[in-house]
Amino acid sequence: MALPKKGPVKPTLPLNHPKTLLPRREQIKDMITKDGTYLPKSLLHADLDRGFLDFVKEKFKIVSEGKNIPVVDILITTQNWSQFVETWDFQNIDKNLEPPFLTVIRNPEVKYGNNPAVMYNIPNRRMYYYMEVPTWDGNRMGADIYKIPQPVPIDIKYTVAIVCNRMREVNTLNQRVMETFASRQAYQTINGHYIPIINDGFADESVMELEKRKYYIQKYDFTMMGFLIDEDQFEVTPAISRTFQIIEVDQRNIKRKQKKQQPVELETITLSYPNSGSSAEYYFEYTCNLFFENSTNIKEYSVYINDQYYGDNVDTIQINTNDMLKIDITTNLSLEVPSISFSQKLL
Amino acid sequence: MKSNVPVTRLGKFFGDSDFELEISMGQEWLIGDMNYTCVLYKIDRNKIKTDDVYGEVVEDGIKFLPPVEFNAQISIAAPENKMVGTTKMDQVEPGNITISVYLKTLNDLGIDVDFGDYVGYYDSENFVRYYTVVNDGRVISDTKHTYKGFKPFYRTIIAAPVGPNEFRGL
Repeated sequence: MALPKKGPVKPTLPLNHPKTLLPRREQIKDMITKDGTYLPKSLLHADLDRGFLDFVKEKFKIVSEGKNIPVVDILITTQNWSQFVETWDFQNIDKNLEPPFLTVIRNPEVKYGNNPAVMYNIPNRRMYYYMEVPTWDGNRMGADIYKIPQPVPIDIKYTVAIVCNRMREVNTLNQRVMETFASRQAYQTINGHYIPIINDGFADESVMELEKRKYYIQKYDFTMMGFLIDEDQFEVTPAISRTFQIIEVDQRNIKRKQKKQQPVELETITLSYPNSGSSAEYYFEYTCNLFFENSTNIKEYSVYINDQYYGDNVDTIQINTNDMLKIDITTNLSLEVPSISFSQKLL
Repeated sequence: MKSNVPVTRLGKFFGDSDFELEISMGQEWLIGDMNYTCVLYKIDRNKIKTDDVYGEVVEDGIKFLPPVEFNAQISIAAPENKMVGTTKMDQVEPGNITISVYLKTLNDLGIDVDFGDYVGYYDSENFVRYYTVVNDGRVISDTKHTYKGFKPFYRTIIAAPVGPNEFRGL
């Protein structure tokens, strides 16, 4: 059995588990903002095209006859071709590209994307909170609120063509493509963003005419499911750093109806003398005046306040707070329970 | 055993001696006056290095016998400005070379031209373009290749241009 080559053998074992879930998401977020501002970097058509070219150069690196098969390092357009032919370095004496080589062709039309992660969104491209960045102006601490619009999904179709003279070169590219897209899709990191690429299939356009120069042309179709982020559309607004509350009061006179005072009913105090008693006391916790109301089976009565004689049969009694009122009575010759009532008025 | 049967057609007014005279006069014009030459790089099929599975020649694996210069009438087609397949890369593809050579010339030099052999033609003193034979013109039974229907006397060889990736000559 052949020994494995040097490349696939792991010289060391990883000691830490790779990050997953939230830590992994944070890692990706850091990747997006690496070497830049707090905001994600722009991702426009040219960035995606450059990213795909780099993807081809990196993933489809083919060595044939001891030499790297070159990749035409531009996307072929009508305008740039004449300039490019002056500068490329793998041309023959006729200024023609000398096989083998790889080239990337981009379909000019770019359609709305099918990437389910970004194709369903809220209408009108509202701005979304992205990050709160602390600021310091030398005096007080504040923050900036960074907002970005939701990215616009786009699908860009590319064709990678190999032009070569040998079947082994065709085989090698096919192997690279099949291995890279064994899971149907591959990813390219462009400006920190993960962009999926899908293999749509391939076609053969090899020149088989008898009296022509013969070479293989095989074309692989890919769809890059990218999205557009334009940094010109980002918003940075200062957040609230200090609050100052003001209450405004209407200073105009407002006429309102005067409230009518409800008459206060005087509470009546009744002292009764059951069991042939002739003296009764009442303790006051407030100041008031007492007015005689009526009496039952009482011939005459004497009033004492704090054991100080006040008067006999008085109609009005002035009471101060914490006074002890005592009323002694002389009854009539009746069997009714004697009682005496006073109304009171608070002062 | 190969039998030789005399050709007696056109016998009343044309014969082998006339045929050889016409050929010699033609060669005098082509070689003496015109003197178009090209170089045949005959593939050495015993030494050539090929791929084990596909039989395709590896880079610099083409081995050829000593080159032979021969005279012929040369016609080179105009180059085509076209794309490489549908890759949107346009290039000016050199045209094929058509080589009309007397059979007598080939016989005198003791050479033959086969499919896959390479031919070099000097466009100028310091530039030679190489072609690979895509039609060796071996079938010459058509009337066009006979001298007024008497006998075939030349071959038309068509070769397509190749790049240095395939063949670089000496």
